[in-house]
Amino acid sequence: MGFEINRFQGDVDEELICPICSAVLEDPLQAPECEHVFCKACITQWISRQPTCPVDRQNLTSAQLTQVPRILRNLLARLTISCDNAQYGCTRVLNLDTLSTHLEECEHNPKRPVLCEQGCALVIPKDELKDHNCIKELRSLITKQQQKMNEYQHEFHELRFFILEQRREMQLLKDFMRALKTSNPSMRAIADAMDRDAQDREVVRWSNSLQRARVTRWGGMISTPDDALQRMIKRTLTEMGCPIHILDDLMENCHECRWPPGLCSLETRQNNRRQYENYVCKRVPGKQAVLVLHCDNQHMGEDMMVEPGLVMIFAHGVE
Amino acid sequence: MANIAAQRIKREFKEVIKSEEVAKCAIKLELVDNNYTELKGEIAGPPDTPYEGGNFVLEIKVPETYPFNPPKVRFITKIWHPNISSVTGAICLDILKDQWAAAMTLRTVLLSLQALLSAAEPDDPQDAVVARQYKENLDMFKLTARHWTNAYAGGPSVNSECDDKIKRLVDMGIEEHQARVALSSYNWDLERATEQLFS
Ligand SMILES: [Zn+2]
Ligand SMILES: [Zn+2]
Ligand SMILES: [Zn+2]
Repeated sequence: MGFEINRFQGDVDEELICPICSAVLEDPLQAPECEHVFCKACITQWISRQPTCPVDRQNLTSAQLTQVPRILRNLLARLTISCDNAQYGCTRVLNLDTLSTHLEECEHNPKRPVLCEQGCALVIPKDELKDHNCIKELRSLITKQQQKMNEYQHEFHELRFFILEQRREMQLLKDFMRALKTSNPSMRAIADAMDRDAQDREVVRWSNSLQRARVTRWGGMISTPDDALQRMIKRTLTEMGCPIHILDDLMENCHECRWPPGLCSLETRQNNRRQYENYVCKRVPGKQAVLVLHCDNQHMGEDMMVEPGLVMIFAHGVE
Repeated sequence: MANIAAQRIKREFKEVIKSEEVAKCAIKLELVDNNYTELKGEIAGPPDTPYEGGNFVLEIKVPETYPFNPPKVRFITKIWHPNISSVTGAICLDILKDQWAAAMTLRTVLLSLQALLSAAEPDDPQDAVVARQYKENLDMFKLTARHWTNAYAGGPSVNSECDDKIKRLVDMGIEEHQARVALSSYNWDLERATEQLFS
């Protein structure tokens, strides 16, 4: 849709009129052969109904439309037009090519967004300012938000119900699995293997999240920690996120009575001390102790390692 | 009404008013309502045709999608023509249907309708009865069309033979227009027309 002719100063040449909307061309495009010119919006709408030139009915598609010659664009640009907001008091008369820039900042645009300074601080179109009532606006805002809240609440209830349903179904599945496991030995074997796998993966994941530790003085090892020390280690392991199923075993494996043959006495330790450097150790934050997990130390012989791993406490010498 | 349609009609209305056809009284255009959705057109019957001397009034309705769709036009004045329904005034003309183009105007429509009165297309009929008469008995068609022009469009040529036959039927209690249609459809054969009317 082009610009209304009566907004222009003086006469407008017929060549600059769109044959579809009979207004002055806006974003003009040209048909390739007959060179008829139309507003972009007008010709696009026409072609969407019928792919022909609206003047001479030659075949014409959107893809064939081209830019109009520079001379025509210049003629259009130089036309002088009154502002869209003339009826609201804008007296500006501008060249057509500067109209859009002016409209963006025109003071007289009745829809220009302004800030209410009477208290509500909402941004509203200028023409609504005189009938504007902060309390009414805010109340409608509250109503809208209340509505939204109700919607969310509803959604929340539905989701909760859904979760409960899922949980019930899960329980049912678990019961079913348990029944299968007890009634069918091969199912039990499969299920146990799956459980073990899952637990192993959990330990590996945990181990990967821990930092490596270096022991500088293996001689400082405390092989028979007292109860207090053991409780402290257990508390720390829990804080470190140790998987529940290995927690007790690990904690108990901090005493030489639970260590593998290669470590369980002063004598064997003396014999194997050169292998110490091969251990992959993980830090126990803030403590002079390291974790030696089985999953990190499969390269060590059975003599030197136990499942799920062991804890070594030192008097000093851990980095 | 969409802005573009009103804008177009406003401009076209001015264009027709200023045109030389209006100056020669060949076409006329009037607004029916103030929002440019309905107009009244008028065309003069072209010379050397059975419609000569008659004035034919048209109802023009402008759709909201104008000019992307054609205006809806029909004859208000009753007319005997192969491409115009003698009952409803509906028109069979390609530019008012699939051959419409957005750059056409009410002026081109009125001039095209005038041209249609000069050159009927009996092979693309709107009124089958009229079209058959046109093809089988052209003189009879011309006589009938001239009589209708006199009866409804203010045409000058009076055919007293036709008027007499109509009067005979009216005296029998038949409504005048109904009598004219029956006689026109049966080539002014009073007996057959009577038979059809009373069967
Ligand atoms: Zn246009
Ligand atoms: Zn063209
Ligand atoms: Zn302005």
